[in-house]
Amino acid sequence: MLPRALLLVLAATLALRAGEWKNYGKNLTVKEETKISEILAHPDKYQGKKVKVRGVVTNVCPERGCYLNLKGDKKFQQLQFKVDDGVIVFPADAVGREAVAEGVVAVTTFSVAEQKEMCPIEAKALDPKFDPKKIKGPMKVVRLDGLGAELKN
Amino acid sequence: MAGRWRRWNAAIHRDIGYLAAGLTIVYAVSGIAVNHVADWNPNYRLGERTYEVGPLDKGREESALAADLAARLQLKVPPRAAFQPDEDTLQLFTKEGTYSADLPTGKVVFQGLRPRPVLLAWNRLHLNAPKGLWTYLADLYALGLLALALTGILILKGPKGILGRGAWLAGIGAAIPAAFWAWWAWLR
Repeated sequence: MLPRALLLVLAATLALRAGEWKNYGKNLTVKEETKISEILAHPDKYQGKKVKVRGVVTNVCPERGCYLNLKGDKKFQQLQFKVDDGVIVFPADAVGREAVAEGVVAVTTFSVAEQKEMCPIEAKALDPKFDPKKIKGPMKVVRLDGLGAELKN
Repeated sequence: MAGRWRRWNAAIHRDIGYLAAGLTIVYAVSGIAVNHVADWNPNYRLGERTYEVGPLDKGREESALAADLAARLQLKVPPRAAFQPDEDTLQLFTKEGTYSADLPTGKVVFQGLRPRPVLLAWNRLHLNAPKGLWTYLADLYALGLLALALTGILILKGPKGILGRGAWLAGIGAAIPAAFWAWWAWLR
């Protein structure tokens, strides 16, 4: 009798959580959302600025949960939200869920040596064609230095 | 008097040791696991399958392509979302994993991650994924380790104590990270 009651409570709790938003990292403070396409079109204008973006999660660091990629509002576009290891740990099952994320826009150019030292999984998430054996030159990356995010259950 | 404080020291060392044993195992095992993250995924098992669904017309809208691909894959539950990272690729995201279709060839690769139940939990605790209360519990554990180290070096007196053989061993233990850092940071 008791196990059944517990299962019912658990099922009800899970049902109530469906559709809820779960917070990771710092609380979101920026009021207006910025389109990912706008940031990618004018990265220098947004560099160093704190922004809030929205998109479907297309990729999560499967090892440390230290980044997630967000689908842009225009075709073929995505923006990476990156934190240092352990600051936020995103679950692998975040892929495909809607996210609202806040961070500071960073425009970084990785030298050949830096690319060779990069985590290959992270590099591949930044550039799906990345191959550590075929690095030709510097890689310019626009991404968010992540502060906080909310994921829809 | 000297004997009394040493008895207290040993008792504190013993009891903190008992208290810290469980979490030490958690941190030690997950420490090894996440240390070798470049060689394996300590949190998830990767499952991979391939399908052939025939070429898909990439001239269509993403939503139409996604519906077509889901139908060809005979997915019973609609995908959470779809994404085209480039014009030749379409990804369907499901609860179980991601289907990546090469549109010109119709070859689809499914990649799903299944959690390693115990290791995932231990690694998440090690990396302080829960934050909040766990931060303070982990701080308490770190203070416990500090107490273990300090009380440990004072347990024995005499030639095997910290003024004898213990000094050499403690010195070697402290020198290893210092020497490694000096080499890694400045000499290599």
